[in-house]
Amino acid sequence: MTTFVAPVIDWAALSAILVIAGTGIVGVLVAAFVPASSRRTVQVVLALVAPLAALAVVAWRWSVVVGGGESTLVAGQLAEDGPALAAQAIILIFAVVGFAVMASRLPNGEEAFAPQGAAAPGSAYEEAARRAGLEQTEVFPLALLSLAGMLVFPMANDLLVMFVALEVLSLPLYVLSAMARRRRVLSHEAALKYFLLGAFSSALFLFGVALLFGFSGSISLPDLGTAAATTVGMDGMAVVGFVLVLTGLLFKVGAVPFHAWVPDVYQGAPTPVTGFMAAATKTAAFAAILRLLYVAAPGFGWDVEPVLWAVAIASMLLGTVAAIVQTDIKRTLAYSSVAHAGFALVAIVSLSEQGPSALLFYLLAYGLATVGAFAVVTLVRERDADGNVTGEATHLSQWAGLGRRHPVLAATMTLFLLSFAGIPLTAGFVGKFVAFVAAADGGAWPLVVIAVIASAAAAFFYVRIIVLMYFSRPEESERPGADAVEPGALTRASLVLCALGTLVLGVWPTPVLDLLAQAAKFVV
Amino acid sequence: MNHQVVADFSNDTWWIWVIKAVAIIVFLLLNVLIAIWAERRILGRMQIRPGPNVHGPLGLFQSLADAMKLLLKEDMTVKAADKFVYVLAPLITVFASLLVFAVIPFGPEVSMFGVVTPLQLTDTPVAVLYVLAVTSFGVYGIMLGGWASGSTYPLLGSVRGTAQVISYELAMGLSLVSVFVVSGSMSTSAIVAAQAPFWWCLALLPAFLVYVVSMVGETNRLPFDLPEAEGELVAGHMTEYSSMKFAWFFLAEYINMFNVSAVATTLFLGGWRAPWPISAIGDGMFNEGWWPFLWFFLKMWSLMFFFFWVRGTLLRFRYDQFMNIGWKILIPTALVWLVAVIGVQSVRQFAEVDLRQMLIWIGIPLAVLLLALVFWPEKKKPEPVAAGPVVFDPMADGFPVPPLPGQQLPPAPRRRTVSAGSVVAGATAGPETKETGDE
Amino acid sequence: MTNPYVPILVLMGAAALLALGGIGASAVIGPKVYSRAKLEAYECGIQPTPHAIGHGRFNIKYYLVAMTFIVFDIEVVFLYPWAVAFSDLAVFGVVAMLGFLALITVPYLYEWRRGALNWD
Repeated sequence: MTTFVAPVIDWAALSAILVIAGTGIVGVLVAAFVPASSRRTVQVVLALVAPLAALAVVAWRWSVVVGGGESTLVAGQLAEDGPALAAQAIILIFAVVGFAVMASRLPNGEEAFAPQGAAAPGSAYEEAARRAGLEQTEVFPLALLSLAGMLVFPMANDLLVMFVALEVLSLPLYVLSAMARRRRVLSHEAALKYFLLGAFSSALFLFGVALLFGFSGSISLPDLGTAAATTVGMDGMAVVGFVLVLTGLLFKVGAVPFHAWVPDVYQGAPTPVTGFMAAATKTAAFAAILRLLYVAAPGFGWDVEPVLWAVAIASMLLGTVAAIVQTDIKRTLAYSSVAHAGFALVAIVSLSEQGPSALLFYLLAYGLATVGAFAVVTLVRERDADGNVTGEATHLSQWAGLGRRHPVLAATMTLFLLSFAGIPLTAGFVGKFVAFVAAADGGAWPLVVIAVIASAAAAFFYVRIIVLMYFSRPEESERPGADAVEPGALTRASLVLCALGTLVLGVWPTPVLDLLAQAAKFVV
Repeated sequence: MNHQVVADFSNDTWWIWVIKAVAIIVFLLLNVLIAIWAERRILGRMQIRPGPNVHGPLGLFQSLADAMKLLLKEDMTVKAADKFVYVLAPLITVFASLLVFAVIPFGPEVSMFGVVTPLQLTDTPVAVLYVLAVTSFGVYGIMLGGWASGSTYPLLGSVRGTAQVISYELAMGLSLVSVFVVSGSMSTSAIVAAQAPFWWCLALLPAFLVYVVSMVGETNRLPFDLPEAEGELVAGHMTEYSSMKFAWFFLAEYINMFNVSAVATTLFLGGWRAPWPISAIGDGMFNEGWWPFLWFFLKMWSLMFFFFWVRGTLLRFRYDQFMNIGWKILIPTALVWLVAVIGVQSVRQFAEVDLRQMLIWIGIPLAVLLLALVFWPEKKKPEPVAAGPVVFDPMADGFPVPPLPGQQLPPAPRRRTVSAGSVVAGATAGPETKETGDE
Repeated sequence: MTNPYVPILVLMGAAALLALGGIGASAVIGPKVYSRAKLEAYECGIQPTPHAIGHGRFNIKYYLVAMTFIVFDIEVVFLYPWAVAFSDLAVFGVVAMLGFLALITVPYLYEWRRGALNWD
């Protein structure tokens, strides 16, 4: 009988994750024990302070780790290195701005989430809960727990840890997707689709893990890389397993052909959740893909590259084309996020050396604009006959003329849209530029050409929304009129941060690029 | 510590297995026949009536006659039933209940037809897990039986029964963890061997108490027989069953009582080991050979008597009370106890601290705290302000209803003076008072 | 040593024989008298409904119990192997398991406070 050796745990390296997960658990206790009157305040404070604290911890770890202090933790299951910390920092930034949007209310005191998640849509019980002013404050612990999963994801150096992180990340998001206050049935449908397809992709992921374990006899990524280089035969098993694992991750990213859930979920989920989910989940999943490709895949290189090429090209083309024909702003942004998954993938397809830093910068630029754009969507609201603010006005025609009535808001939205389109002087341009340069360096010229053409086409529908906001008059239609409401303090702060970030990264990206360039080394 | 099986089965051959397996089933069937008779006799005693006393000496053949009668009854399948599942359910129930005894040690090694073998069918390193698995499997019988009958009462009974069994299974499972911690094994023979110095029911008394309560809940016996509460649900999941299918449900209920009693005997009461004064006689001669079978049998039957006694003493709980006991008392108790055991065991095994001294230092403040809690002056709830006599409608919604606390009966039209007090007194006041119909 | 599960198979065989034999015997021996009323669902003498209440659907509380049960049952399942290996895992195991217990207790307290354990 083998004797058990307890693993050494470097708690300091785990502290960022522990801060977030611990706050999430405290949040559950708050939901249980703090009286209803002050519950929401406590939760919001916790949800905003925790990511900031974790950000500080990540900065500290960065100063300790980057440039020589990289190591693996907990018997090699986690890795603490530059890319992991950079991805964590980016995710935490999205969390701060995203949670701020989640926590803010409309001027009439309405929040984005259902008063009682368990109430059937349209039931008398729901109406009673709304009248009683109930609030489902559990959304904040849920978001924090999901964030904890996202923080583990970039560090996961082991396929099982990666799977656990994937589930921890996903399950709270399924619940959050179902919590929209308005259009509850759509929200439920979105959550169910997300859950079923997510469960399906998790199953594929696990099946891939099993195959890779069969191939290499190990679930740790570095061992997998070694085995790929040394093992002869069983290539079929390895490649199929690898592609299946990749499928599970590409699903979270929302790349074609695993994008089927994206438009429905982005449309149905509460808009603040959509913003957070689109930015942070994508970053976390891409960080995991990064580690998978750069640590385990070099040995598979030639076998996996065609798959990545196909996925990248399909994502860019389908995302762009489908976005052009949408009439709903949330669906437009959803398809644009599919296209962006393709653009981001371009950076790492050829496994070039600048790939990781280019990808992370791209994600930072995209995520800031995404959180900001969805925050603007939460503010454009329909009015009923009495002039009361009701649900979000998501039909594009309702956005006509917004620029005349709310020039500042429209200008902010324009900035985000230009960043999506990759117009110079915005972060999006720099992001696309470094991503394409990284791909070109790796020799993926044809891919870069396709990407440039796709981004030109994509610019069309972003510009169309801008034109709609500034140069159209609201036409007469059966849809209720729409107007923007005054943003709450937290949303305002979040919008300012996102807009500033987008501008600064576009005008003066050098410091951030330099920082990320330090982070290109993976620990093996 | 030894996680492995202690008993040695290396001499067993296939015919030994067959003998033991058949012996287990015969043993269970005979015990059930006696148990039904004994339960009725004991309940009769407790309720000051004779109980079955006609068929055979002392009425001993009563349950045999009942079984024969069931065998000769028509085997019906109700129209709305899902035929296959309807037949399957009683089979599952009785099948699962018969399997538990496979790992129960009846005694140490004996000589059986020239083969030296333990008085136990088999044992595995995870024997108790097997017991729990098989017991959980039996729940399907309740669930499917009630569902497949296609009728209202069985359905309600079966969902109730399932919720009840799984709720109490948790408390049961948690209470067993501390036994595994101190025994260092899940093999039944190893657990019995670990109880050689003293029985776990003394060392782990809270766990034993939790187990005893949850074993009554687990077997759906009074005071927890809510799935078949005859006043509410006719006969619960068995309502639509007749003949042998009903007999199987009935048989399984009694076998399950033996199962949980045998598990309690094995895990907490020292298994087949002789009780203390006897075990000291003759250098442990009563712990060898066939003697231990007797001790096991007596211990198991004393638990069975406990079942009957409880049934004769307590009333059935309401369902919400029942669930509260399970979820809010038994599970927290089991958890707290588990943490306490973990603490003590870790100090004993891993720390260089004198356990006795530490227990004293922890125990005294705890005792003080407990006493303080017990004797703390209870905060009196403010008496509800009497806002005058509440208007009471004795014929609310057209039905005669009794008054709630705080409500007063209006004067009856046909009587001169009636107050709430005199209604109670009226119980002895003769037929005239009762005519008011207020009771 | 032979596989300790083989004797269990023998007992299973004997138990299955008894279970099937009993039902088979009663099906053969018992009388068969057709009566329509006998085959209706039993509802204490009132006109029986052709199906179970709500066509087999029942209160959502039971599902809540079932879900909570899953959580705690998994806890118990994790506790068992740890309990057996208590001495081998030593302090590391104790700390890990206490952390796990604490994590399970948090949602338990949440459920309790929010009334999921109340049966009304």
